Amino acid sequence: MSTANYQQETVFPPPLVEGNQTFHSVTEAVCRVVEAPPSKGWLASFAMALLGLAVLGVSVGWLIWEGSGIWGLNQPVSWGFAIVNFVFWVGIGHAGTLISAILFLFRQKWRTSINRFAEAMTIFAVICALLFPTIHVGRVWLLYWALPIPNQMGMWPNFRSPLLWDVFAVSTYFTVSLLFWYTGLIPDLATLRDRAKSKVAYYAYGMFALGWRGANRHWQNYEKAYLILAGLSAPLVLSVHTIVSFDFATSVIPGWHTTIFPPYFVAGAIFSGFAMVLTLAIPARKIFKLEEFITVRHVENMNKIILVTGMMVGYAYAMEFFIAWYSGSAYESWTFINRAFGPYWWAYWIMWSCNVITPQLFWSQKIRQNMTASFILSIFVNIGMWFERFVITMSLHRDYIPSSWDYYRPTIWDVGCLIGSFGLFFTLFLLFLKFLPAIAIAEVKGVMPQADPHWEGYHADHHHSADHAHAAGEKHHG
Amino acid sequence: MSAHGPVFRDNPKLDPAVAGTLVKGGYAVGGLALLISVAGGFAGGEETRKQFFFSYLAAYMPFVTITVCAMFFSVLHHLVRASWSTAVRRVAENIAGNIPLMAVLFIPVLLGMHDLYHWSHHDAVEHDPILKGKSGYLSPAFFVARAVVFFVIWFAIQHFFRKNSLAQDESGDVSLTYKMRRLAPISTLLFALTISFAAFDWSMSTSPHWFSTIYGVFTFAGGMMGFFAALALGILWITGRGALTSTLTVDNFHDVGKLMWGFMVFWTYTGFSQYFLIWYGNIPEETIYYITRQNNGWMSVFILLVVGHFFAPFWILMSRHTKRSRAMLGAGAAWLLLMHYMDHYFMVMPVLHHHLHFHWLDLTTLIAVGGLFVAAWAQRTVKHNLVPVKDPQLLASMGYENAV
Repeated sequence: MSTANYQQETVFPPPLVEGNQTFHSVTEAVCRVVEAPPSKGWLASFAMALLGLAVLGVSVGWLIWEGSGIWGLNQPVSWGFAIVNFVFWVGIGHAGTLISAILFLFRQKWRTSINRFAEAMTIFAVICALLFPTIHVGRVWLLYWALPIPNQMGMWPNFRSPLLWDVFAVSTYFTVSLLFWYTGLIPDLATLRDRAKSKVAYYAYGMFALGWRGANRHWQNYEKAYLILAGLSAPLVLSVHTIVSFDFATSVIPGWHTTIFPPYFVAGAIFSGFAMVLTLAIPARKIFKLEEFITVRHVENMNKIILVTGMMVGYAYAMEFFIAWYSGSAYESWTFINRAFGPYWWAYWIMWSCNVITPQLFWSQKIRQNMTASFILSIFVNIGMWFERFVITMSLHRDYIPSSWDYYRPTIWDVGCLIGSFGLFFTLFLLFLKFLPAIAIAEVKGVMPQADPHWEGYHADHHHSADHAHAAGEKHHG
Repeated sequence: MSAHGPVFRDNPKLDPAVAGTLVKGGYAVGGLALLISVAGGFAGGEETRKQFFFSYLAAYMPFVTITVCAMFFSVLHHLVRASWSTAVRRVAENIAGNIPLMAVLFIPVLLGMHDLYHWSHHDAVEHDPILKGKSGYLSPAFFVARAVVFFVIWFAIQHFFRKNSLAQDESGDVSLTYKMRRLAPISTLLFALTISFAAFDWSMSTSPHWFSTIYGVFTFAGGMMGFFAALALGILWITGRGALTSTLTVDNFHDVGKLMWGFMVFWTYTGFSQYFLIWYGNIPEETIYYITRQNNGWMSVFILLVVGHFFAPFWILMSRHTKRSRAMLGAGAAWLLLMHYMDHYFMVMPVLHHHLHFHWLDLTTLIAVGGLFVAAWAQRTVKHNLVPVKDPQLLASMGYENAV
C-alpha cells in the first residue's frame, strides 16, 4: 500500500498488517531477524552498548568503593541525578504495560505489532530504574534493610515512608510485567523451537516454551492467563507512578506538594514511554524490514498519544503555576518563578519546549506520518522528560534559608551513571532483538483478516484473494 | 460479528405518547419545585435565602457536569474514531443538548453570588490579604465573563456535533463524519480547560482560601461517572419503552456499565490523591478543607462517599453479571447518580453549615433542576431519531459482542 493511498481517510481503520501477508510469511518475517547471523549494524551497536555498560560498571564500582561523595550532591540538594534517573527510567517503563494491558482491555487491536517490543523495553527500563535507588542508599550491602525481614534487632522498615512504598510498587510492577511478557512469549518461543536448526537453540527455546504444542487446551489456558494478567497490570500502570509521585508530593516542599502530582506523573510516564517506544521502533522496523507490521499507522497512533499526553503534562505545568499564584502562598509562587527565571531557567524552558511545544507539530498529519520527523520529535520528548524530573528535583537548590542556597553541578561520575544506564538498557534491548521475536507472531496472526473464519477470501467466488487464502489455510501452522 | 452482519430494523423514533408523561411531568414537577424553592427561600430571612442558594448550587453542579461530560463523550467518539459507541451516541448528544437549559439555570447562581462566594464582598477582600492577592481572578466581573465564555464554548461545541449528527440522519453523507473528526481535537482541548476553570470558579471558590491543583480533574472524573450513569438509565428507559430493542442490546448495557465503573474508580483515584496528599502534608491552609468536612456530623457524609461512591459499587458493579442485568445496572446507575449529587453536596454545603444539616430546600432544588433536566432531554429524545440512523458505523456498533 502506498503512502498516498494511506492518507485517504476512511470511516473504518485500514488493515493492521500491510502487504500480501499469509500466516506463514508473518512467521518468516519475524523469525528471520532472530535466525539470521548478526548483522554488522547489530554488532556495531552491541559494541557501543557494551562500552556504555563498561562505563556503568566503572562508575558504580567506584561509587561503592569510595561512597556517594563522588557525586555532585550537596546541602540542600541531597537528591541529584540518582532520583532524576530513577524517575526517568520508571516513566519509560510505563508504555509497555499500558500497551499490553490497558490497550488490550480496550480492545485496541493495533497494539499487537508493538506490544512485545514495548514490554521488553519496559522490563529493561525498570531494571535501569531499580539500579539508582539501590546505589543511592550508599551502603548497598545493607539494601535488604528496606525489606520487612524479621530479625533479632527488631528493626523494621518505616511503612510510612513513600520511599519504602517504592520498593514494593516497583518490584511488584517488575514481577507482573515480566510474567506478562513471558506469558505472551510462550507460543512464539515454541515457534522458534520448532524451527531451530541447532541443538542448543532447540533445547533453549524448548525449555522456555514449556511444552507448548498449540493445542486447543493450551490456547484456552493461555487466553485466560493473558486476560487475568492484563487485568492485574492495568491498575499497576497507575499505581507505580502514583507512588513515585508520592516521593515528592507527600513532603511539604513548595513545588513538590501539590495534589495533581499523581495523575500528572502517570500522564508524563505514558508520554515518555511512548516516545521511547518510537525511538526504538522507528529504526528497528527499518533495519529489520518490519515495516509491514509496524506500519505508518502504528507510528501515527503513537504520535497521537504523544500529542495528547504531552498536552496533559502541559495542563499540569500550567495548573501548578496558576494554583501556586492562586494559593496566595509566597513560597509556592516564588518557587515557580525561580524555576522559570532562576539559575535553572534553562532546564525549565527545555522542559516546556520539548514536552509541550515541539509535540504540537504532531497536529500535522504529514509530520505524524513522517518517520524521520517522528524519530527526531521522540528524542526531544526523551530529553524533555528527563529535564522535567531534573526541574522538579532542583526545587531543592533554594530552600527556606537563603544562606544555605547552593547550585548543584553533576560530577563526571553522575554523568557516567546516566550514560552507563543507557549502556545497560541498550545491551539488554539488543540481546532481546537478537534472541527473541520482536513482534508477537501469534497475536499478529490473530488480527489478520484471515483469522476471521468468515473472511471473504475463504469463499471461492472471490477469486481475487482465493489463492492468498488458500496459501494461508495450508500453511496455518507456519 | 455474525456472518452476515446485523441489520438495522428498529423504528428509529420513539412514540411521542410514550414520552409525553415524562416531558409534561418533568416540566410540571420541576417548575413547581422551582417555584416552591424560590418562594420558600425568599419568604424567610437572610438565613433561608442563603440556604436556597447553597441548596441550588449543590443541585446545579451535578447536572451541569453531567451535561458537559455528555458533550465531551460525543466529541470523544469522533476523536478516537470509535465505532462501538455509535448506537448510544444520540442519547449523549441529547443530554448535551441541555447546555442552553443549564445556561439559563445558571442565572440563580449569578444572582446568589453574594451569598455563595465570600470573595465577592468588596469589604471582606479589603481586609484579607490572601483574598486581595487573588482578587485579579476572583472578582465579580471576571467571574461573570468567564461563565459567559464557558457557556459560549460549550454551546458551540454541542451545537456543532449535534447539528452535523442530525444532518447525517437525513443525508447519510460520510463527509459529515470526517468534518466532526476534524474538530474533535480542538473541542477536547477547550473542554479540558473550561471544565477545570468552571470547577475552580463555581465550586472550589466557595472556600476561597483553599486550593487544590487536582480539583478540575476530580470534578471531571465525577462528571464522567455521572454521565455514564445517566446514559445507562437513558438507554434502559428507551429500550424499556419497547424502542430499539434489537439495536441496543445487553452488550451496549455492558459497555456503558464498564465505563461507568471505570470512571467511578477514576473519581476515587483523583479524590484519594487529593485527600491523601493533604492528609500526609498536614499543612493547616490545606487541611482546613477536610477538618471542616470530617467533624460536626460531616464525617457521616464522608464515609457515605467512601463506601457508597467507591467500595460498594466497586465490588458489586465489577461483576459481568450485574452490568448485563437491566435491574442491577439500573439500580447501580441510579445509586451512583445519587452519589454524584452527594459528592457535590459535600463540596459546597459545609461552607454554609458547620454542622451537618439537611434542609427541605436541598430536596426541592434537586427536584427542580432534575425535573427540568429530564423533561428537556425527553423532549429532545422524542423529536429526533433515537440513533444516528445513517451513520456508516451504526451496523458495526450493533455487531459488537463482549466475549467472555
